[in-house]
Amino acid sequence: MANVLLKNIENPNSHRIDEYVKAGGYFALEHAINEMTPKDIVDDIRKSGLRGRGGAGFSTGMKWQFASLDPKFPKYIVCNADEGEPGTFKDRVLLERNPHRLIEGMVITAYALQSIRGYIYVRAEYPHVEKILNEAIKEAYDKGFLGDDIMSKHFRFNLSVHRGAGAYICGEETALINSLEGRRGEPRIKPPFPVNSGAWSKPTIVNNVETYANIPYIIETSPKAYTFLGTKDAPGTKLFCVSGAVNKPGVYELELGTPLREIIYDHCGGIRGGRALKGVIPGGLSTSILTPDKIDCPMDFANLAKRGSMLGSGAIIVLDDTMCIVKIYERAMRFFEHESCGKCTPCREGTGWMRTILSRIEKGLADMEDLATLEDVAANVAGKTFCPLGEGAAHVLLAVIKSYRGEFEYHVKYKKCEVADPSQKWEHISEGELDRLEPIV
Amino acid sequence: MVKLKINGQEVEAGRDSSILYAAKAAGITIPTLCHIKGLEPYGGCRMCLVEIEGVSRLQTACTTKVNEGMSVLTETDEINKARKAMLEFLLINHPLDCPVCDKAGECLLQDEAARYGASEGRFAEGKRVHPENLNDPFIVRNMQRCILCTRCTRMCGEGQGAYAISVTGRGAHSFVEPFSHDKYNCEYCGNCLTVCPVGAIMSRLHRHNYRPWYVEKEVETVCGFCGVGCTTYLQMRGTTIIRTQPMLGTGVNKGLLCARGRFGYDYIESESRLKTPMIRVNGVLEPVSWEKALQYIVTRLKEVKSQHPPKAIAAVASGMCSNEDNYMLQKLIRFVIGSNNIDSTARLAYAPSKTYIEKIFGAAATANVIADIEKADGVFVAGGDPTAINPVLGVQIRSAWRHGAKVVVSGQPGGLGNFINYSLNSVPHHEETVLNTIVIGLAEMKGYSGTNPYIEKKIKALRVPCEPELKATGVTLESMEEAIDDLSRLKKPVVVIGPALLQSGIPSKNLFLVAAIAYLTDARIYLLSKKPNYRGLIDMGCVPDAIAGGLPVRPGQIKLKNSVTMSVPADKGLNLFEMIEGALSGGLKALYVLGENLVFNLPDREKTEKALSSLDLLIVQDIFTNETTRHAHVVLPAAAWSEKDGTMTNLGGRIQFLRKGASDSVGRSEWRVIAEIAKALGMNETYRDSKEVWEEMTQVSVLHAASDYEDIKDGGLMWPYGSVQFQGGAEDFEVEGIGILPEVKSEPCEGPLKLYLLPERSLFHSGSTTRKSRALLSVSPEPYLSLNPEEALRLGLNDSDTVRVRTSRGSAVVTIKIIMDVPERAAILSNTFEKVNFNSLAGYSVDPVLNCMALTDNEAVIELI
Amino acid sequence: MITAAIADKNAILKDKIKELKRLYPQTRSVLLPALHAAEDLYGWLGDDALEQVSMLTGVTTAEVKGVVSFYSLFKTKPHGRHVIYLCTNIACLIMGADTLEEYLQKTYRLSNGETTADGRFSLVIMECIGACDRAPAMLVNDDWHFNLTMENIKEILESYK
Ligand SMILES: Cc1cc2nc3c(=O)[nH]c(=O)nc-3n(C[C@H](O)[C@H](O)[C@H](O)COP(=O)(O)O)c2cc1C
Ligand code: SF4
Ligand code: FES
Repeated sequence: MANVLLKNIENPNSHRIDEYVKAGGYFALEHAINEMTPKDIVDDIRKSGLRGRGGAGFSTGMKWQFASLDPKFPKYIVCNADEGEPGTFKDRVLLERNPHRLIEGMVITAYALQSIRGYIYVRAEYPHVEKILNEAIKEAYDKGFLGDDIMSKHFRFNLSVHRGAGAYICGEETALINSLEGRRGEPRIKPPFPVNSGAWSKPTIVNNVETYANIPYIIETSPKAYTFLGTKDAPGTKLFCVSGAVNKPGVYELELGTPLREIIYDHCGGIRGGRALKGVIPGGLSTSILTPDKIDCPMDFANLAKRGSMLGSGAIIVLDDTMCIVKIYERAMRFFEHESCGKCTPCREGTGWMRTILSRIEKGLADMEDLATLEDVAANVAGKTFCPLGEGAAHVLLAVIKSYRGEFEYHVKYKKCEVADPSQKWEHISEGELDRLEPIV
Repeated sequence: MVKLKINGQEVEAGRDSSILYAAKAAGITIPTLCHIKGLEPYGGCRMCLVEIEGVSRLQTACTTKVNEGMSVLTETDEINKARKAMLEFLLINHPLDCPVCDKAGECLLQDEAARYGASEGRFAEGKRVHPENLNDPFIVRNMQRCILCTRCTRMCGEGQGAYAISVTGRGAHSFVEPFSHDKYNCEYCGNCLTVCPVGAIMSRLHRHNYRPWYVEKEVETVCGFCGVGCTTYLQMRGTTIIRTQPMLGTGVNKGLLCARGRFGYDYIESESRLKTPMIRVNGVLEPVSWEKALQYIVTRLKEVKSQHPPKAIAAVASGMCSNEDNYMLQKLIRFVIGSNNIDSTARLAYAPSKTYIEKIFGAAATANVIADIEKADGVFVAGGDPTAINPVLGVQIRSAWRHGAKVVVSGQPGGLGNFINYSLNSVPHHEETVLNTIVIGLAEMKGYSGTNPYIEKKIKALRVPCEPELKATGVTLESMEEAIDDLSRLKKPVVVIGPALLQSGIPSKNLFLVAAIAYLTDARIYLLSKKPNYRGLIDMGCVPDAIAGGLPVRPGQIKLKNSVTMSVPADKGLNLFEMIEGALSGGLKALYVLGENLVFNLPDREKTEKALSSLDLLIVQDIFTNETTRHAHVVLPAAAWSEKDGTMTNLGGRIQFLRKGASDSVGRSEWRVIAEIAKALGMNETYRDSKEVWEEMTQVSVLHAASDYEDIKDGGLMWPYGSVQFQGGAEDFEVEGIGILPEVKSEPCEGPLKLYLLPERSLFHSGSTTRKSRALLSVSPEPYLSLNPEEALRLGLNDSDTVRVRTSRGSAVVTIKIIMDVPERAAILSNTFEKVNFNSLAGYSVDPVLNCMALTDNEAVIELI
Repeated sequence: MITAAIADKNAILKDKIKELKRLYPQTRSVLLPALHAAEDLYGWLGDDALEQVSMLTGVTTAEVKGVVSFYSLFKTKPHGRHVIYLCTNIACLIMGADTLEEYLQKTYRLSNGETTADGRFSLVIMECIGACDRAPAMLVNDDWHFNLTMENIKEILESYK
């Protein structure tokens, strides 16, 4: 296991500034401010090859460069801590255990971009994180790492937390900016990109929590050292959050390019109950499912793309052979339907339509024509939506039907599920138990 | 310019153009649903998908900018399939109720579905249901039909700046709603109705009585409600207007209208319109034929003329009437009768403000393009809420604010409330102190440029207010200072002056102070005008001291070929107030009132009534009987603005065509009637149409001499109408009480504080005509007295309480409405309704410098009954 | 009717929003934090609360409502003393969250968006709450509970009175 981002988190007080500093924290910031020009930093980040960890994997250095070339003032630095992609919980671990690392990364970014104001957009589902962050920010202010005269270098940067209110789409950067501005969290037209016209129409950098957390490491070592980790095309480590049918679910920091098989079988101790693997969703619910034959795939951007999927947020959801694909994707589509912002026609109307057909298939109320309609509707959504949310919904569905068509057809033909008796699935609960329970009045 | 290919065709387009507009310019139509000209592109409906060479996904033409060398296809099988799919998505939740939908025939969804093929009904589940909402008097919402293009909410926000409706909910559960679910709490501009592409937001007034194919003819004209001069289209069926509709992107309003313009026109078709001329016989008005009425007028005028000097005859021109009507009236008085006794209610505020401002800055000062307000980086407003007086102009201020302009309002902010940086909402009679402070502050910050020594000298003479004086204004020093700070930094500011600036304190001082702000910040000036043609009537010479075109009256000045009286009478005529005095003292014997309800629109109603009833001859030409016709000896039915041809001049000096909608109307064009009278009294000229009247006017008016009638057609003729010589420079001017400030009286420790009654300037009404509009009455049905919450608390009053409001002039019983932004110590009373109106409860005095009206006797006592 | 208690809360909100405004370059942006603050103060966001927020932020009521209703976690109706946020997204679903949902239905007659008759619990079915490694999971008010089973959920909920 690599130890770049999760360094020191075994320490029960890793979130306190003293412990963080003791472990070498804020050294990178000091170094950046004392020894480097803003341009040096942008160049270093570009050289490191760091790519965004929020999902799209865009080059962080390039993003910063675009923003730094824009003459508009002020510039804003925003941290995307909305972490809404189902299956993802890596940012939460960083935020809970290593908040100063994020703050340090953001302050360095601010220095590199000569920004004076930053916001951390935290999802409402993490109420405790907001508290931890506010305390950490206060500590950083007290120690002079934030404020009007950071490290007595006449460098000003103020930071605060902005709480979301329950909307997955607000993880999308332009929707996030709308939400930050006090609007409905609908995505905006790009271009202009946030780097030129983001929050309050000013150049704005939106990066993921994990992306910022990488910055101090690159500064305190070197861009070169960073490229020793991971692959050529995708340097560095990645936090993989593994859930589902594995023995040891959790967050693992591993180098990019680590094969999926190694993650599931070595790090996570294999499939629970020694069952057979049915499929893996490799990067969060919006990424296409991989069939077991593809699990030798190295976990990086290019290799997953080659197999028709994406690295996404690095959320690996493992499915074993007792699980009903139709049921899972019916629930997945319910998620997309619930989270569609409603701005564009195909996503607003299409996700609901796809879900209703999936529901009928799952309940055994559909015929083959419905399955054909489902595929056609998905094809009509794919490629036509305003933002990747609706696009993702259609793509994952098309991919799963393609790989697991037999199971869908079985549902249609036999009006029931192909996988073993559903009551067997749950280890800790059985149907009988449920019936025995008396309502508590 | 960039070059690109669309469907193989070489196309050139502006660098910032979208593919949609580039295609449109090349004659290629790309279907759209959510796009609307004039609003930001949205990209939601996904109908406009096109293929761009080298780009893997289809792109939306409305949001994608053109690029050099780009190659675009707008109709391929893939695109058509995608568009059909989008329509299918929209139709899964759209009811198939076209046969009963009022939008049928002009529904975009229907059109596109016809073009791309209707869907096959593959959606098996039930449609979303959302019952029709009929709880609002104007707007019917049928959210089942909504396709969530958000044109309405964007129009309401981005366009109108009202933000009164919003998409609520998320995803497929989204609906467009006002805050309260059913009744709208809005300005009822109805601009959402213009843009809804389907039958989701419809006009209640037109429910089931409007169908697109009912429209027999559409007439482009200007709205007859206020001085903005919005372009509007009268959709006619026979002689009835079935709808007034703006056109997006067209006219000074660029497709916006306000509540009055959109819904209020129905007063024209009111049953109580005057239908025949009437003559008073034994104290009662009795219908007579036109011949008889005109003959009567001529005889009586001759009688007066033979017994009295020409000075005994006067006329009141109308801000509701065309330039030609007003020109003809002043011709009758000046050139036929031989007196300069002509004036109008523009005298109350608009005309003196205009004269005064032009004296300070030169003749060009008040002629400005309304659309430029939006481009300002700061707006200073004093004297009334522009969003109520001139709504579409007010919208421009909001738009400026949204683009980052600083907006500072002195007085009640009203509809600008959410769009201001500083509200200087002072206690009545203390505006002056606030303005004074700002002028001194600005002068300190900016220094003097020396451009206009007259005004600089006067600014230097201002007295610095002391603390108790500042305190008495009710505005914090902090906000004044911040306002000064912001104002001093402006590069492209605008100053907007409303009529209320002259209504309290010392009018000339107030006006001077605002002019000084404009001077120090180098701002453009806009004078609000609630009547549509105040500026025009002044330009037509309907003032006692200047002829058409603005030259001061001088004897022998103008010679009209063939005219009876070949020259302008020598003496200055009577102004409106002097006419009233004259009638009372017996010097004035006959008065011709054109389209004006004098009794109702002047304070001190008693005095006006007494004056009018002492006349030997009162001729009133109007579209309704009203408080003024009650005293008339002859009443002539007039044509409403939608019933005649002519021109009108908007508040910024733009001349536009008024075009006749109805082919026959009960009234006759006023200028024709007046010309007939003039002829009978010896005028030689005859006119075939209003164009000939205009042409004669251009011979009299130096201002219009070089103008071309044809130029009025496209978008109007702009001041100075081709004349170069008519620029005029700054002159010295007078200010009353320059070094003094309102007295700070110590208030009684016990008992109520002094309260001042002020007139409301309502968005939903204009004068007494709109009380005949059923539509406007449905949103503003009755008079009310508004107070701010603290005042109400102090007086122990609640919303909707019935009270008696008393001044030294009389009293009225009215309901209370509590409104946040009413200034402290002010009580604002409606001025539209017959029984309760402001003007019968206040008096006035005439300002010696401006010759305008200043309110008096408006201290009020309110008691609960 | 504005009671003294509400007037007090309005005053607190006013101060709070004034403070929050300092955090943003434009007043409008204060809307989300202002709504959170109002929800904390009034318990939920009824029309009165929204009007108050509108007045204090200068954002029109219609827009405030548009914003509030976009986000799924603002409480726009009264709720029970304790709110159960049960995640049923994939990771939790495959670990049995749907049976927990049934359990709540059976035991407390509690379904999504509803409140028990005694006003004790309200239920909000959640999309992923980021606890997939310890699924199924829920929040009760602000407290996290992981690895739920039929047994422990009963125990957990019974500790909320
Ligand atoms: C529907 C949708 C949801 C997203 N959710 C998140 C999220 O929860 N967290 C995140 O960091 N990025 C999310 N993103 C990606 C962001 O738009 C953006 O690319 C990212 O914050 C950029 O940061 P990075 O370059 O550091 O990855 C989402 C994107 C989409 C389209
Ligand atoms: S795809 Fe469309 S409706 Fe869906 S979230 Fe994106 S913009 Fe909103
Ligand atoms: S017109 Fe382009 S997306 Fe609607």
